[in-house]
Amino acid sequence: MSLLNFAELAVKTCQKLGADETEAFIQSQQIVEVVLERAEIQNERFKTQSGVGIRVIKDKKLGFAFASKLSKESIEETCKVAISLAKASVPNPEWVSLPSKERLPKTPEGIFDPEIANISGDEMLNLVINAYDAAKGYDKRVDIDDGKFSAILNEIVVANSHEVEAQEKTTRIEGYLVCVAKEHGETSSMAYEYDVSTILKEFLPEKIGRSAAEKALSSLHPKTVESFTGKVILDSDPASFILFYPVISSVNADNVQRGRSLWAGKIGEKVAASKLTVFDDGLMPRGVGSLNFDFEGIPRQKTPIITRGKLEGFIHNSYTANKEGRKSTGNAYRESYNMLPTVAASNFVINTGKKRLDELIAEVDKGMIVRRFSGNVRPESGEFSGIAKQASYIENGQIKHALRETMISGNAFQALKDIIDIGCEIRPTEIRAYTPSILVDNIQIISKQ
Amino acid sequence: MVALDVLKKSLQKRPEGYVELRHHKRQTFNISAKDGKIDTLNSGAIEGACARVLINGSWGFASSTMLEEEKIDKMLKDAASLAKSSKSKKKRVVKLASLKPHVDRYETSMKKDPRKAGKEDLVSLVIDVDKAVRDFSKIIVSDTVTFNIVDDNLAFISSEGSEIHQRIVRCFGSVTVVAREKGNIASAYESIGEQSGLEVLEKTPLMNVGLTAAERASKLVSAKVAPAGYYHVILENRIVGLLAHEAVGHCSEADLVFGGSFLANKIGERVASEKVTLVDDGVFPNGFGTMKYDDEGVPTQKTVIIEKGVCKSFLHSRETAQHFGVNPTGNARAWNFEFDPIIRMRNTYIEAGDYTLEELAEDIKEGFFLKGGLGGQADFNGEFMFGTQEAIRIKNGEFAESMRGVTISGNAFEVLKNVDAIGKDFIMRVGLCGKEQINYVGMGGASLRTKVLMGGAK
Repeated sequence: MSLLNFAELAVKTCQKLGADETEAFIQSQQIVEVVLERAEIQNERFKTQSGVGIRVIKDKKLGFAFASKLSKESIEETCKVAISLAKASVPNPEWVSLPSKERLPKTPEGIFDPEIANISGDEMLNLVINAYDAAKGYDKRVDIDDGKFSAILNEIVVANSHEVEAQEKTTRIEGYLVCVAKEHGETSSMAYEYDVSTILKEFLPEKIGRSAAEKALSSLHPKTVESFTGKVILDSDPASFILFYPVISSVNADNVQRGRSLWAGKIGEKVAASKLTVFDDGLMPRGVGSLNFDFEGIPRQKTPIITRGKLEGFIHNSYTANKEGRKSTGNAYRESYNMLPTVAASNFVINTGKKRLDELIAEVDKGMIVRRFSGNVRPESGEFSGIAKQASYIENGQIKHALRETMISGNAFQALKDIIDIGCEIRPTEIRAYTPSILVDNIQIISKQ
Repeated sequence: MVALDVLKKSLQKRPEGYVELRHHKRQTFNISAKDGKIDTLNSGAIEGACARVLINGSWGFASSTMLEEEKIDKMLKDAASLAKSSKSKKKRVVKLASLKPHVDRYETSMKKDPRKAGKEDLVSLVIDVDKAVRDFSKIIVSDTVTFNIVDDNLAFISSEGSEIHQRIVRCFGSVTVVAREKGNIASAYESIGEQSGLEVLEKTPLMNVGLTAAERASKLVSAKVAPAGYYHVILENRIVGLLAHEAVGHCSEADLVFGGSFLANKIGERVASEKVTLVDDGVFPNGFGTMKYDDEGVPTQKTVIIEKGVCKSFLHSRETAQHFGVNPTGNARAWNFEFDPIIRMRNTYIEAGDYTLEELAEDIKEGFFLKGGLGGQADFNGEFMFGTQEAIRIKNGEFAESMRGVTISGNAFEVLKNVDAIGKDFIMRVGLCGKEQINYVGMGGASLRTKVLMGGAK
């Protein structure tokens, strides 16, 4: 039986058992993974996994059950559990319906690469060795601590009782290395570097190795500076976490509707500096979050979020959209088949500026650059504080030295308004935000002095 | 044929090298209410198996959710071929510390096995807590209440003759509250949980932490962010486990020690104030990270990392134990059947002292009482951080106004040397730690006094 047959079986079975509506989501994955530990290749893994999540609605009551076993018996059993949970639940008066069938857009270009789908254990090892050698070869003072490289073939099927039927295969290859540099008995802070791509040819393990090594080296011999308020260049990773994690949270319609977003009712208002334009693009070619349908099986799209500093719109799944009688933006997402859909960004893209990193540095009279942030961000209020890692002090447009025991703090919503400039290179980060380096003013820089 | 019999049959075919086979069935039940409505009522099972094979000092690993005989045979073959083909590319030759094979069974001690309980009571409980939280104050605009049961059935068999069955049941819940007033917004989070049956709800009612979170969010809406600077602080008992885990625990994991963490070469040396005894305990009663055997089949134990300020031991797998010439400590853990075990903490805590909270505050001229934990991280060089939700100002030994909590950081060495008083209010909590793969851990301790850098406002 194909995955689609299993999904159809689940929908049919639940409807027969008395469900008003049913949705089946099936995910199947094959993963080849190499793990580095204690400076060496530790292990290589082959993983095969699949599973089904079944959502049923009966009298506006929701039940959900899942199983990793795909067989006729297992699906029928899981359907029964989902129905019994729906019966035991409490009606949600705001429930409208599961989405109906819509014509899907063309599959975005470059989201499936047969070279990743068919990668061998040996090829995977070679990629890791390339990254490893690039880091070790960069400088004798550099040591690799740990890392992991994974090639993932992902197949997704969604079907529901309103004739939604969607199926697609995607691929992804990702890897990270953690390096430290050691000199004269001193160990640097941990430097992290990664890459992720849907296409094997665009995945650059050597770059991961070189860049991790360079970051570790540049954090050797750190000094402290006195606390001050100033300009900070946030590299892609910290910019994404500090600035855009609160943005994604605030434009998530579920948070807006639940009173958890300070941007509720602010569409059309200025929320950021005019240099900032952001959109969510579920159809972006080669995007790590791209697909022609979302995880409820309806079309993904390109949704404007912030245009030249003005708030344009929110992202929805079918539940939040139905509540407002509008169309979903195709942002239903699930971490895994064993979870219900939530609202999430697909590819959250920040428009690039014109400046290279060295040009951004040249703009800073007194401030710092932060390449890793180890801290906490409160998505509702925008408060952030944490340690600036691989951070360097900048004076008169030049990097002076690495920083030690230095924290930064501020408020993301204020920082969005205090954006001075935006870098010209973007990269996808952990929260699927394609983020450039961003220069922000008025950040608290804190040390013991 | 049941899955374990398939694995045993596969093992009887005498594969090459040292072989471990694990079978894991994880049954979960989740319920959540959001803003007065039941949001999720979920139930399901994930089941799979894995093989880890050591041939000529090289590991190979494969896992599958398909448990038919030919699939399991292929899984074992895949693991073996990965071990062999990767051999030439690995510099390290793996050797394992010797281990007496164990044939044993373990089950979480439970008074109320959730398998036998009706779920209707849990639905009403979550609804009741959700209502009480929203009724706490008019300024509470949103809440989420969750309760979860994770019921793990683990089997471990090895070519050395081990056969271990463990059933580990964890029950845990959480409450998130958001309050809004005059354009300000604040959130608070609290959790309960332990390794046990549903009796956890009697020992630590979800209602209590729900109201704690509601009170905190309401109070903090109009509060300012705590100031930045290097301060004397009291860490509340509920967050001291984060200090034990982030500042010390990670740096005592032998894989990190190997890379040069700040505890490397420190066995027998003073690394903390003599008030500090820090333990990673695999047998702590009802601990979230307690198991009788780890995922290499090694019996767990209470491992003292720091005793009265002196570094005593690291946390080991069979592999690192062999390398360091010590006995394995039972710290090799895997999140599920998709992962090979790596060195992880179990229940990490700082032992209690004899101070009351008032006595801890007495000697602080200007400082903060920090409450409510958020995420944390540790670095190789001993620098760690974790978030706090609330900072109550202490002035001349007296508690004053509440402020919004901030992330705190410090160098583990310094912070531990600055611990000059520990309370008697010991508590063990639940945690989720991410290191390559996530895992359930316990974190514990009593309120204590030290100095940290606070990442606050001007």
